Amino acid sequence: MSKSRVFSLHTSLSLRKILERRKSREALEALLLISVATGLNIVFGYFAAFFAFYLSFFKWDYISPMEFVGLRNYQIIFNDLWKGINGAYYFLAPFYTGLKNILLYTAIVVPTQTILAMILAAFANQKIRGVQFYKVSYFLPAVTSPVIIALIFIWLFMKNGFINYMIQMIVPSFAPDWINDRNYLLYAISMVAIWGTSGHFMVSFLAAMQSISRDVYEAAMLDGAGPIRRFIYITVPLLKPMIVYVVVLGMIGALQMFDLAWVMAGSNGGPGGAGYTMALDIYNEAFINLRPGVAAAKSMFLFVLIFTSTYIFQKKYKVMRQ
Amino acid sequence: MNEATKRNLLKALWIVFVYIILTMFAFIYLSPFIRSFVASFMTWEQASKYPPEWIPHPFTIENYLKLFRLELFPRWIMNSALYAGLIVAGNIIFSSMAGYAFARLEFPGRDALFSALLALLMIPIFVTLVPNYIIIYKLGLIDNIIGLALLSLANVSSIFLMRQYFLSLPQEVFDAARLDGCGPIKAFFYIALPLAKPALGAVAVYQFLGAWNAFLGPLVFLRSPENFTLPVGLSFAFQRSMWTEYTPIIAGSLVAAAPTIILFIGLNKYLIRGIVIQAGKG
Repeated sequence: MSKSRVFSLHTSLSLRKILERRKSREALEALLLISVATGLNIVFGYFAAFFAFYLSFFKWDYISPMEFVGLRNYQIIFNDLWKGINGAYYFLAPFYTGLKNILLYTAIVVPTQTILAMILAAFANQKIRGVQFYKVSYFLPAVTSPVIIALIFIWLFMKNGFINYMIQMIVPSFAPDWINDRNYLLYAISMVAIWGTSGHFMVSFLAAMQSISRDVYEAAMLDGAGPIRRFIYITVPLLKPMIVYVVVLGMIGALQMFDLAWVMAGSNGGPGGAGYTMALDIYNEAFINLRPGVAAAKSMFLFVLIFTSTYIFQKKYKVMRQ
Repeated sequence: MNEATKRNLLKALWIVFVYIILTMFAFIYLSPFIRSFVASFMTWEQASKYPPEWIPHPFTIENYLKLFRLELFPRWIMNSALYAGLIVAGNIIFSSMAGYAFARLEFPGRDALFSALLALLMIPIFVTLVPNYIIIYKLGLIDNIIGLALLSLANVSSIFLMRQYFLSLPQEVFDAARLDGCGPIKAFFYIALPLAKPALGAVAVYQFLGAWNAFLGPLVFLRSPENFTLPVGLSFAFQRSMWTEYTPIIAGSLVAAAPTIILFIGLNKYLIRGIVIQAGKG
């Protein structure tokens, strides 16, 4: 009896050893598998982000040695903002101009594209033939490069262009020179952005709508609620998590808008700096003015702006993460 | 009129209304494409006429010829293709390996590491842009498509997508392989990878779209016009006013957009579903 016990102890020991060896081999091979992907992301993600933070306390021109300047770069930002608030010309307060424009742009684009996407999804969610064709049409701009879209729209937005032609069918005397008029440039860019992204978010809403149970609608139909009332009182409240998701994604995208402004307004922001954005300002600071330290400080500001605004929004409209 | 016919009439009216709205929006979303397609076969004189004309007269392919007469344009196409190819290949290889390990293998610090990778999604590209420029500069890879591609060979979104896919496969498949004495890497190549074709396809398509349409990265990391990709090249051509007319820019835009449009129309059902899966992770 004791002999067999020793034997079983022995086997379980060696089994454990085998399992342990297996486990460490598994860990080793796993590390091998993740090595490239993780390594690249640590270098170009984490190292870069921490280096940007570090850089934001230095004065540098890429060539001469870095000089520690404490909070000077941040002071430059706040001076700029202060000058802008006190009504300095747009090119004397570029950061303020970019911030002001991008906040207005975000305030226009995000609510409009969210509501539009929701309405499009509601119509595309009807049980009728040919819906796929409509979905494809609405989504097509979302797979096209923003640069290409911007180039096409510069032409469509010309004074004697297609868009003014369409508008004049409704408002006969309205024909602004969208791209060259400082009062209209940002609105032109916003319209292109809404046109370009609403289809993408429509698909998100469509998926959320299709997961709403039919029973809820049938109950409402028995109560005599028409399609519009059903949409407002049933669909919209049930879509709340998706609305928060779409708004947050929309804000993240809008606050760092770059491509459309670069092409439609140019890197200096176009007439009166009307199309200047924070992202353009960071680019110019880093690669035109050659002040990477200031650019890094500005990018920290952008990061904090995006992070806090999306965080506050999510907090306010508490959603359960699935 | 009785109650039933009244209700049917209302329903028919509603459907007509829905079609009118849907078609109106389809016009808004499609007309820029249709308008530029038509105009790309016009002379600039005709394309800029007011009110707009819809039938090219004279019909001309001169705009496309002008594009290809510019030696840079075919190079931009090749560069875009090379960049997109590198990104697709890198993401397929490295993200599937990492996604599999994060989903199916045990190793110390796995979940913490994965969360740390996901956290990177919150960092705006403008934060890492300058440091990455310096890194690539130090590597001597500025103005080189390979240097640019290095930055996004294994995107976190692809790793996430692959991990979710491997998590959705039944554990038994992998257990069986392990019982047969298959090591994790062997199991990855012989079991996991062949099963992952749908997810690999999705990663390939999204990364292709992302790389083909990318602007900021190519703009910053590529310096000389012969190394530009299509979006950077076309905006360069526009800003330098390479042609006095605007129609070659329109034609070039269409050429640049054609691969993504064709890809999307071909895979529309599949792609729209993919967006839904991505949206679900919110």
